[in-house]
Amino acid sequence: MKRRGRGIACMWYPIGFTVSANPSAAVVKVNEDGTATLLTGTVETGQGSLTILAQIVAQELGIATDDVHVVSADTDTTPMDTGAIASRTTYVTGNAARLAAEKAKKILFDVAAPLLGVKPDHLEVSDHKIQIKGFPSRSLHIGDVAERARGVNGDPPLGSASFNPATAALDPETGQGKPFATYVYATQIAEVDVDDETGEVEVLRVVASHDCGTPINPMLVEGQVEGGISMGVGFALEEEMLFDANGRQINPNLTNYIMPTSLDMPKVEVDIVDSYDPTGPFGAKGVGEPTCVATAAAILNAIHDAVGVRVTSLPATSEKVYAAIKAKRAQEGKRLAAGT
Amino acid sequence: MAKVTLTVNGEARTASVSPETTLLRLLREEFGLTGSKLGCDVGDCGACTVMVDGKSVNSCLMLAVQADGRDVVTIEGLATMERLHPLQQLFEDKGSLQCGFCGPGIIISAKALLDENPDPTEEEIRDALAGNLCRCTGYSKMIEAVRAVARAGRDERTAGSVA
Repeated sequence: MKRRGRGIACMWYPIGFTVSANPSAAVVKVNEDGTATLLTGTVETGQGSLTILAQIVAQELGIATDDVHVVSADTDTTPMDTGAIASRTTYVTGNAARLAAEKAKKILFDVAAPLLGVKPDHLEVSDHKIQIKGFPSRSLHIGDVAERARGVNGDPPLGSASFNPATAALDPETGQGKPFATYVYATQIAEVDVDDETGEVEVLRVVASHDCGTPINPMLVEGQVEGGISMGVGFALEEEMLFDANGRQINPNLTNYIMPTSLDMPKVEVDIVDSYDPTGPFGAKGVGEPTCVATAAAILNAIHDAVGVRVTSLPATSEKVYAAIKAKRAQEGKRLAAGT
Repeated sequence: MAKVTLTVNGEARTASVSPETTLLRLLREEFGLTGSKLGCDVGDCGACTVMVDGKSVNSCLMLAVQADGRDVVTIEGLATMERLHPLQQLFEDKGSLQCGFCGPGIIISAKALLDENPDPTEEEIRDALAGNLCRCTGYSKMIEAVRAVARAGRDERTAGSVA
């Protein structure tokens, strides 16, 4: 019969390695029509990182995300980036983009301040305008200020910046130190049905609670978490590279390397924890790889809750789960016979 | 070489193909319709899904000559210059795709489902998408988008019957 179980797993994950140089750089140019252009070396692979970077620049300059034109991943024109790897883009490249936009903004403030009759640090940006803090009616359009910066002041509003989480070698004696700039945390809970006659496991539901700092784009965070959970389900129950004696993979295809389909995917509830990291761009950290860390452990704990067996090698295929159930029954039978 | 004549996205097309040419290669290489993707080429991944006479088909598993005289719809046949197909629009609104490689096949599978069953249950949607593999998204936002399109269609039909 089918037996239901629940399991929980918690994890932390590091963001922004510091054991070697880990820089990103960005260039931001504010245009005379009030739009901006961002040059970044990082790569969009569908995770939405360029959207996030455009949002960060837009927030810093007080313009709309659609007004930020992103030029990326072109070694001829864009600054080198350490890569869209290690869940570092929002944190490291995002910091570089924000700093570059801040420098361009500083030029605009220096131009706007005498026109508005205040000091630059009394200015703020909002809704395509540069305005006096507390007196939003006294403002100038950001495009007009950019035009004046170039045409009158001779100081076009450009900013370039790099961000490198402070490189810090570990203590060679103790292995102690600060290997990463920041950390993210998550808890996932899985609910499963295990058929105790076949060992088949069905993951019904996963609830995932993630701290990723302040989410720049909650919809993209959800997309990352849902995708990570599907990878975690595959890791837990299905996916396995099989090799022959010569080390050649014998299932290098999707017929025999089984990965989750829409029928294997549980219902997912994503909970984004309120959080703010003062070292991240607008409080953000990251969310990519951490999403699939806890899933398999939560599912294996749920299997234990359902049928009382610990499967300690992945994937927990029906064969392995059934073998474990059988071994447990045999053990219990022996105990019964021995009268213990 | 064999001559095939078929309707592709509402337009009559003719080509001369060698007998082993798949429908996918005909679409991509002869007709330049590269929206349908060549993934596994053995019918596992669904990236090549198109509609043939209203049914979703892995176009890598169908010979071009088998499509002779039939009606084929690819991802290129969904949007007009004025607007996206509701499925494409909802996939965009909900962030249903990430890298996007599986997208054309997934959207065609969803369209074939909704054409036949405009008000599917979540189980029916999962079943219809089960032949399309996605490595990025976990399918959740795709299922949500298909449900939203079905819901919008239902609202439209209800409004129509009231009027």
